[in-house]
Amino acid sequence: MATSAVAKDIVFALRQQIAKIEGALPERLAAPDDAEDSAVIVRRHGVAARRLLQIGVEELDAALGGGLEAGALTELHGRETRDAAASAGFALCLVSLWLKAVTAAPFILWIGTEEIFREAGFPYGRGILGLFGISPENLLFAAAPKPSDALWIAEEAAVLSDFAAVIVELRGSPRALDLTATRRLHRRAQKAGRPVFLLRQGAAAEPTAAPVRFVLSASAAGLRETLDGPLPLSIGPPGFAVEISKSRTAAPGRFVLEWNADERIFEDRRRGRFAPPDRGAVVSLSGGGQGVEEALGAVVAFGQSGARAAHHQPSREQHPAHLRPRRAS
Amino acid sequence: MHLKRGMGIADARAMHPGIEIVEAEPDADKALLNGLADWCDRYTPLVALDGVDGLFLDISGCAHLFGGEQAMLNEIAKRLLGQGFCVRLGAASTPGGAWAAARFSNAAILTPKSEAAFLAPLPLSALRLAPELRERLEGVGLRRVGTLLQAPRAPLARRFGKGLLLRLDQALGAVEEAISPRLPVAPLSVERFLPEPLVRMEDVEHLLGLLANTLKGDLERRGEGARRLELRLFRVDGLVSRIAVGAARPLRDPHLILKLFRERLAVLGDQVDAGYGFDLVRLSAALVAPFDDRQADLVDSTGDEGEGIAHFADRVRARYGAETIVRPVLVESHIPEHAVTAVAVEDRVEAVPIQDERGANSERPIRLLQHPELLQVSAEVPEGPPIHFRWRSALHKVARSEGPERIAPEWWRDRADAETRDYFRIEDTEGRRFWLFRRGFYGTAARPPAWFMHGLFP
Repeated sequence: MATSAVAKDIVFALRQQIAKIEGALPERLAAPDDAEDSAVIVRRHGVAARRLLQIGVEELDAALGGGLEAGALTELHGRETRDAAASAGFALCLVSLWLKAVTAAPFILWIGTEEIFREAGFPYGRGILGLFGISPENLLFAAAPKPSDALWIAEEAAVLSDFAAVIVELRGSPRALDLTATRRLHRRAQKAGRPVFLLRQGAAAEPTAAPVRFVLSASAAGLRETLDGPLPLSIGPPGFAVEISKSRTAAPGRFVLEWNADERIFEDRRRGRFAPPDRGAVVSLSGGGQGVEEALGAVVAFGQSGARAAHHQPSREQHPAHLRPRRAS
Repeated sequence: MHLKRGMGIADARAMHPGIEIVEAEPDADKALLNGLADWCDRYTPLVALDGVDGLFLDISGCAHLFGGEQAMLNEIAKRLLGQGFCVRLGAASTPGGAWAAARFSNAAILTPKSEAAFLAPLPLSALRLAPELRERLEGVGLRRVGTLLQAPRAPLARRFGKGLLLRLDQALGAVEEAISPRLPVAPLSVERFLPEPLVRMEDVEHLLGLLANTLKGDLERRGEGARRLELRLFRVDGLVSRIAVGAARPLRDPHLILKLFRERLAVLGDQVDAGYGFDLVRLSAALVAPFDDRQADLVDSTGDEGEGIAHFADRVRARYGAETIVRPVLVESHIPEHAVTAVAVEDRVEAVPIQDERGANSERPIRLLQHPELLQVSAEVPEGPPIHFRWRSALHKVARSEGPERIAPEWWRDRADAETRDYFRIEDTEGRRFWLFRRGFYGTAARPPAWFMHGLFP
């Protein structure tokens, strides 16, 4: 058995070496089980400190090995151009989480080709402010004529310390976006320690230097919360179906997340909604209404069967969409 | 040869059977004259076009750079002749005098106060008069400028109008006449004549760095920085390239100036062709603004966080044009496409107080189509939400909908026939969320209502 022990040793040493090259902890390759893994900072060659962006959904974070690497290029794919809002929305969710985590430089640069802005719509400041709390003053948009120009702008921007995050959006699989170009972007993101999100609409999965690739598609929205539970047939917090299609640490997996625009956090759809902590002081409803406490923890994602019938709610015609439920505080 | 302007081709052929006919190209002639005017920029920044065949150069204060007026005229004549042009030159202290000197003598230089003596024997066409006026004057026997000069002024003005006396006075210098230059004169310029033309663009960039260094000293003396810079490359064979870059903040630093021009040159690539080389390179600050020096403290450099972004934006714009990089600004408007406008990065616009962001305004898409796209829609009830719709030839079935949110046209801004829109938030069976609207009402408006896709929700 001596030979196998030696072989094991060699394999272990090789694995250590590979992990060193890749900049990932070998322990994490094996088992991401550490509970206080939340603030992992890995020193690589004694210079670059890696910082993890936690998505806030335990399974997804665990699958990624504690969180998404912040100083890296991350690919976000949308299968079709009309999924552009889902992938862009997910990128903005991540940016919003990242802005909460960092203090300086709130500026965001969103680079796209003129083609994708024409096809999928130009980013709209009011909606971005409302859903992600990113102020229009801190947003910059660059519309490049060609994909290669967009990549040039992205490379220049990735080294600037004035931007908290850079989003590059391209359509299809342009020739300019090859392994070299993505490696350059990735290296610069690593050096600056800030995320660069590569949004690709209607693109095939190609070899790139990005360590993580998500494939995004839209998922049915949750229902609007009212004092008496979810409002049927309403369109509430947006849902994202996130598929990990490439990752060094995770097996491919699929997650359905829901973005809470009030708290600016993700919630895992499969686990049901976590109740806001300040619900307790609400007075019970009059008439045929039931106490609020029972509504806590209700599963809202799986169609209407889980939702309670709100017979005392006004009908949909009488209940305009813009009247949001009031939250007690 | 007895050929005249306006003669028919048949007549001309009859007189000279071997004549060669070339069609007139006024546009090409104009372009050539413009190119020539560009080239003449090397002598003075004040160059004006005169009709279809003439150029005015205001050489006040420039002649000594070329060894005096005579030497300057000789050089211009020699160079233009070398380029294949047949030119007539004249210099005088008034534009009118110079005009006559160029056309009625060869390379004459009129000293001040000698215009009258020079003009006196010349025909009236030396005065830049309108042809009808000239014919009327000639009709009464006034054929020479001299006779006009001797005639009493008052009757001339009464009979032939003020224009005649104005031309006369302009030619003699009694009335100041300014030529209107083609290009605005830059407040600051530095240039270098090169005895040996530069062929490689690397050399041009190096020279540009030296010029920027000189410009920096001039700007510092004036307490200003450049907001727009222009580089002019004069090629040996007469072609002039003008390359301009803008800066968000007043610039002085030669490195930054050089960086901006490098971006511009990189994108222009082959459009700037050195050919046989450039023999004059000029860098001018076309627009200057006060430069406020900031005191750097010991801890931080300057504490100005927008500066890096401003320089970055300059470089992007130098490459891809001014509209490339923008910042959104919220505007007070109900109409979604007017509620956000784009401004340049450095523009600090007073932010509109946003109405309660969690209120009615929060339900807005994150992507807005630049032009709403027409949909084919089936709705259960005319005023209700659609049950399915076809967008970009794909059918979407509606699972859930919210709305309508009615947005009326802004009568104080829109046209009178603008129609009300009813917006719906729609989720299709695959989970995508859209923002679409119906324009107009059923049964009331002149044209039937139409449905449009306007935005995408995450």
